[in-house]
Amino acid sequence: MFDEREQLREEVTALRARVAAGDAEAEAKERQLERYAADLRETFKRERERAQALRRSYMATVRALSNAVEARDAYTGRHAERVAAYGLEVAHALGSELAENPEIEFGFLLHDIGKVAIPDAILYKPEPLSEQEQLLMQRHPVIGWEILREIDFLGEAKRVVRSHHERWDGAGYPDGLAGEEIPLAARVFAVADTLDALTTTRPYRTAAGLARAREIIGQAAGTQFDAQVVAAFASIGDESLERIRTGR
Amino acid sequence: MSAAEPQGRGVALIVDDDPFIRKLIVTTLEDVAAFDLFEAGDGEQALEQAARHSPSLVFLDIDMPRLNGIDACRRLRALPATQAATIVMLTAAGPAQEVRAREAGADLFLTKPFSPLDLLQLVDELGGR
Repeated sequence: MFDEREQLREEVTALRARVAAGDAEAEAKERQLERYAADLRETFKRERERAQALRRSYMATVRALSNAVEARDAYTGRHAERVAAYGLEVAHALGSELAENPEIEFGFLLHDIGKVAIPDAILYKPEPLSEQEQLLMQRHPVIGWEILREIDFLGEAKRVVRSHHERWDGAGYPDGLAGEEIPLAARVFAVADTLDALTTTRPYRTAAGLARAREIIGQAAGTQFDAQVVAAFASIGDESLERIRTGR
Repeated sequence: MSAAEPQGRGVALIVDDDPFIRKLIVTTLEDVAAFDLFEAGDGEQALEQAARHSPSLVFLDIDMPRLNGIDACRRLRALPATQAATIVMLTAAGPAQEVRAREAGADLFLTKPFSPLDLLQLVDELGGR
């Protein structure tokens, strides 16, 4: 009898010890798992910071390139920045995922980079260009595309550079693409570019008002421009466009 | 560039009856995301906490004592404080549960065992909204 109780007590003690050991083990495992979670969190944070830093330096590089083009062409002053802003506004209005793609803004900013290869005598000629000069001028999208070709992070941006002078009706250059063959970003850009050209003063003419610019762009829907893009553009209020035009 | 920029802090509520799961989620998310984190151990507590802190993001376990996740989700949707919140269901079972959860107003799903990396990305994308 006594032996039995003693034995039982020993068993209970042993069992308790095992449970306690099990608890301690489980707790240690939990702590280990929490360490994993914490390390993952730190790794994620570091990676996110690096990605942000990388994106910032991409942006700075693209801006430097874009400024290099702008610096030469004094009278378009800030054209690339405005066009990029108009373009993003139109992309937003289209409700397209385009607006979320940073490459697109790069493409908008760099669209005229090929002009670095166009001689001053042609670029700044106030009179109409001869046919040969025009052909040379029209090479700038391809030259730009070739300059940027090896830069992977520009992705879709390179297509904007190449195709920004294409027309919806196929009468544009350099590839004579028509309709949806033209990348959407380039179709958006075409409207933004024309808007800026119309609403800023150039040596050969004064700026048109916003209402007039809307009219001209509206008339070119379905010929020069994608009608859907023009409709998206038409839905943007004057204040947004005016803010971009004045740079405020 | 805008998605990754800080946009001010939000509030997230983590609801699970298993304290260890809550701890894991908190450990994974704390000071990564633009959210202040609160916890609840069941549906009833979740409703109390939601009314107090107005979370814009709720992680909600389904199988819980007192008030389960599906019913809690429906009630959260009826509260002004969480009417527009993003509700992420933590589910163990398959699509049948998802259908019910969606009907109750859930936005997103994480299947247990959930990927902590998915969790981090999801919260990062939601930012402090």
